[in-house]
Amino acid sequence: MNYRKLVTIVEEIATEGGRVVDPVARVAIVAAVIENPWAGQGFVQDLNPGIDAVASDLGALLAPRVIEALGAPLEAYGKAAIVGLDGEIEHGSALIHTLKFGNHFRDAANATTLLPAVEKRGPAGVQFDIPLKHFTDATIRSHHQSVEVKIADAPHAGEILIALAGATRGRPQERLAALSTEQ
Amino acid sequence: MNAPLAQPPQLIDLSSRSTLDDYQDVAQAIGLRKISCTVEEVPHHELGVITRATATAVIPNPWLGTGTSQDLSERTEAIAPLLAKLLADRLLDALGGAHKVEAFGKAALVGSDGELEHAGALIHTPFFGNLLREALDGSSIICFVDGRGVPGETLRVPMWHKSAAATRTHYQTLELFLPDAPHAGEIAVIAAASSGPRPHARIGDRTTDRTITSEILKGIQL
Repeated sequence: MNYRKLVTIVEEIATEGGRVVDPVARVAIVAAVIENPWAGQGFVQDLNPGIDAVASDLGALLAPRVIEALGAPLEAYGKAAIVGLDGEIEHGSALIHTLKFGNHFRDAANATTLLPAVEKRGPAGVQFDIPLKHFTDATIRSHHQSVEVKIADAPHAGEILIALAGATRGRPQERLAALSTEQ
Repeated sequence: MNAPLAQPPQLIDLSSRSTLDDYQDVAQAIGLRKISCTVEEVPHHELGVITRATATAVIPNPWLGTGTSQDLSERTEAIAPLLAKLLADRLLDALGGAHKVEAFGKAALVGSDGELEHAGALIHTPFFGNLLREALDGSSIICFVDGRGVPGETLRVPMWHKSAAATRTHYQTLELFLPDAPHAGEIAVIAAASSGPRPHARIGDRTTDRTITSEILKGIQL
C-alpha cells in the first residue's frame, strides 16, 4: 500500500468538567494520505476497479494500527475520507463505504455496527470531525462522540486522506439517560 | 474549576517508571486535562521512514491572576519536571528509543487569561529542558516556539539536531493542531522529536559554505 504519509494521533482526557476522568478517555486516530485513484481521469462512471485496487489494502493498513495505538479494548469507532480539491467527494466515499474497507476494522475490533463517517472535500490542512459510535450497538448514547482532526499538508489536490478512529470508552463525563428511557 | 485535587504530600520515584499508561497520580498532581501524541511517518527512499512526533500536555495555569511580580520558581520546579517526564516518555515510545531521536524541539502556548512568561516558565528552565534533553540523549540547546493563544490553534514547532544544533539538514518544523486547547486559564506544553533530517536536504552546511559577507552586495548581477 503506497502512501505519502501516515499520521497517528492519540489523545487522552484526564480531566473534564473539573473532575477527574477515570479511566482516562483515550481516542486513537490513524490517517493515511494516498493518491486519488481516479485523479486526472475526468468523470469516472464505474468506480469499482479503483475500489478493488485500494479499499481493502487501506483497511488492512489502518485497522491494526488503530487497535495498537489505542492499547486498550475499543468501545467506539468511526471513519473519515477527506478528498483533495481536484477530486469528487464520491471518490472518498467510494474508498470507505464498502465492506472491503470497513470489515478490516470491524474484524480487528470485534465490532458489528456500521461505522459512522465524515466525508468532505478540502484543501491541505482542512479541519474535520470524526464521529464515533458504539462498536456493537449504535444506539448506546453514552458512546456518541466526535474527535477533531487536522493533518498538516494533506490532502493535496490530487490526494485523498483516509482515517479510522477508535475510543476506549464513551464520553469523558457521560451522564445522559439511555435512549430506552425515552421510548 | 480545574484546580488540582488536594492530595496528601507523597514522594514517588519517577526515574525508572514509564508514564505511558501509569500516570494518574502525576496527572492529578498537575491537574492534567489532556495529553496527546501525534506521530507522522513519511516513507523515504534512502532512510526507510522518517518519523516525527509531538507530545502535548494541557494543564491549568498555576499562576492565574497572580500579577507580574509573582515568583514563578516554586510552581515551575514542581510542575516542569513532571511535564518533561510525561512528554519524553511519549516521544521515546513514538520513535522507538533515544537512539532514534536525531532532532528535537519544544513549545508552550498559554491561554488568553495568562501571561507569556507563564508559558516560558514551564519550558525555558532546566527543570523542563535538562530533563527532556537527558531523556532524548541530546546535548544541544532545545529550540522552541512560545506564545499566547486560543483553543484550536495550529503551531509550527521548530526542531534542530539534538547534539549539533548548527547541522543544517536537521532544521525543520512540525505543524501541530491543538483542538480545544489551551482554554483561557490553561497552558499547553509541547515536546517534539524527529528521527531524521528534512526529506531531501540539499542546501549544504557550514562546512561547505564559502565565507559570505555583505561584500557580495557590491557585485550583484541581475
